[in-house]
Amino acid sequence: MAAEEDLKSLLRQGIPEDDDSVSVEEDASTDVLHIGVLGAGTMGQGISEVASQAGIDVILIEKDDRSLQESLLGIEDHLDYEISRWSKTESDKKAILSRIHGTVDPTEAQNEPIVIEALPDNLELKKEIFASLDKICHEDTILITNTSTLSITEIAAVTGREDQVIGMHFLYPVSKTPVVEVVRGLKTSDDTFRRTFGFAQQLKKTPVEVFEYPGYVTTRIILPMLNEAMHVLMEGTASAGDIDTAIKLGYNMDHGPLALADQMGLDEVMIWMESLFHELGDLKYRPCPLLRKLVRAGHLGKKTHWGFFRYDKNGHIIPEEDAQ
Amino acid sequence: MKILILNCGSSSIKYQFIETGTRIVQAKGSVERIGMKGALLKQKRHDGDEVKITGEIIDHQAGVEYILSILLSKNHGVIENKSQIDAVGHRVVHGGEKFTGSVLINDEVMKGLEDCMELAPLHNPPNIKGIKACQRLLPKAPMVGVFDTAFHHTLPDYAYMYGLPYVLYKRYGIRRYGFHGSSHLYVSQRAAVLLEKPIEELRIITCHLGNGASMAAVKGGKSIDTTMGFTPVEGLLMGTRCGDIDPAAILHTMGCEELTLGEANSMMNKHSGLYGISGISSDMREIIEEAEGGSQRAELALEMYCYRVKKYIGAYAAVLGGLDAIVFTGGIGENAPEVRQRSLSGLDSLGVVLDPKLNIWESSAEHAIHDQNSSTAIIVIPTNEELVIALDTEKLIGEVVSVE
Repeated sequence: MAAEEDLKSLLRQGIPEDDDSVSVEEDASTDVLHIGVLGAGTMGQGISEVASQAGIDVILIEKDDRSLQESLLGIEDHLDYEISRWSKTESDKKAILSRIHGTVDPTEAQNEPIVIEALPDNLELKKEIFASLDKICHEDTILITNTSTLSITEIAAVTGREDQVIGMHFLYPVSKTPVVEVVRGLKTSDDTFRRTFGFAQQLKKTPVEVFEYPGYVTTRIILPMLNEAMHVLMEGTASAGDIDTAIKLGYNMDHGPLALADQMGLDEVMIWMESLFHELGDLKYRPCPLLRKLVRAGHLGKKTHWGFFRYDKNGHIIPEEDAQ
Repeated sequence: MKILILNCGSSSIKYQFIETGTRIVQAKGSVERIGMKGALLKQKRHDGDEVKITGEIIDHQAGVEYILSILLSKNHGVIENKSQIDAVGHRVVHGGEKFTGSVLINDEVMKGLEDCMELAPLHNPPNIKGIKACQRLLPKAPMVGVFDTAFHHTLPDYAYMYGLPYVLYKRYGIRRYGFHGSSHLYVSQRAAVLLEKPIEELRIITCHLGNGASMAAVKGGKSIDTTMGFTPVEGLLMGTRCGDIDPAAILHTMGCEELTLGEANSMMNKHSGLYGISGISSDMREIIEEAEGGSQRAELALEMYCYRVKKYIGAYAAVLGGLDAIVFTGGIGENAPEVRQRSLSGLDSLGVVLDPKLNIWESSAEHAIHDQNSSTAIIVIPTNEELVIALDTEKLIGEVVSVE
């Protein structure tokens, strides 16, 4: 019968001391083996899935049991979708789910080398969370915020480890978007940056180094384009469908700007625009009045099945003639 | 000579410790789930001792370290100190055009291996990690790389080129390489021994039918064509790989379903073949059971599988200019008489006649299964890739010693 033994003790008794014995370098690999993810919304789920797929154990933290169960089901649903798209297999799904451990107790992540916060982009909320993470987590833990516009420096300031706070901007959908902005706050140390950059590569993402500035690179450049498309629509220059078709086919993009805004969530787009507008004070970031109107009407895009386009229950755009 | 054979995958290492003089496998085992929680080391010693250990194994170096420690352990080991490992033989998946045979590993070879990495991005990097780990842990043991592609380096250019713009061959090395080389080599040589004829005079078709499957046309001991190509996805239908297909069908599907490159690749490699057709399983045993139980799609998968084997037998009989032997090996080739029978039915005109009784005779030994009126020998030979690696390693180490 097979005997169960402790691997470490076997290792110690197993290799006799001879001339060419090699000392075991405990930290020979800089690979991260486990992380904590706080907030299991769409982004938190995506980050957990991608990390687990890279062989990393994930402690996924939610505020209550109900949200946690919903999130875990969300991950499972997404994996089923990927299987139906032939990109994953049933055994991939099993392996990925087995490495994600859900909890409502943030202290379970206290000894993780990395904790990623993936809550909605709300500065006050994030500051509150980082202050408490700073108290809970081991002094070496790197605290990462997943944000697309907020100031890392400001979030870091509420902690006693400003050099170990950094931003990682994953783009939606996390599993499909290959780029990650690794955002350095004013006091982020080189070591923290290097380890986070390596962690992004371990997730099989292509990281780009970004120095903190409102909107970083991706958000700052894409938002004015979305806003401009809304103005073109509002001014009656072309229909929503035609605007998207023109940009999609004209510049070889997967999504037109209006469909992209719908996918991001129009409320989110408006919050980001306002944040850029306030921070930078430039009129080019002023949210288009049409955007405000849709948000007020509760037409938030794909998630409410209605934004610039109408969506069926599978999230596919309903052609304009059928939608009317 | 005592040789450690390593086969390093992306998250696993399989190993055997072989004494080449007696050809006894003193211990064999594997490390699984490297870099994940609950890594597992399993070993079976030649005297039946078995051990299973779970723990955390962070990378390939740690994996090799654990393998060494179990080989050295008092209760489960087979050696007393590391110097008893005379050499290490590594299975390397892709040797590109650079490596046409096994090589003694040195700095120059390591560089060459890294150059081949682009050709097999999934397989070669872990192979290289395993070699590097051994360099650190067993600095005194010479190491040899044995390539899955090497046996097929004798393919003529008209067999290995694809009908694509020639510049792609020059730029990216797009051509047929073929795989399972050690297996095709081993079983073709064994066939010559069993037929008691010099291999130089023989025309053999070798069918390695496992979860991955390929066939080779072996003339005078040299591979002159093989079914796998630039990657292991070409050729026969396999457990989850589609095998031969019109590439335009994939491009069209990618358009219809808006698939990314990754999705299309995964579709061809992991969701196709027996599994994709049957919708039931990638395991031939289950497919045969389901087909017997009346599942039409399992029956279709089985028929497609065998039809492709038969089609290639015809093609290879033509390129070999006649046929002396057909060899079956691999999990399916060795253990599925149903597959052999279907693949060979109706080949009487080629002089291939199966003996139905011998075909269903269950044996783990090498045995012939042809009718006495068959002009072509049909033989089942269990493959032994590890032995090929061990013997190649011994040979190359021996040459170095004699030169010195």
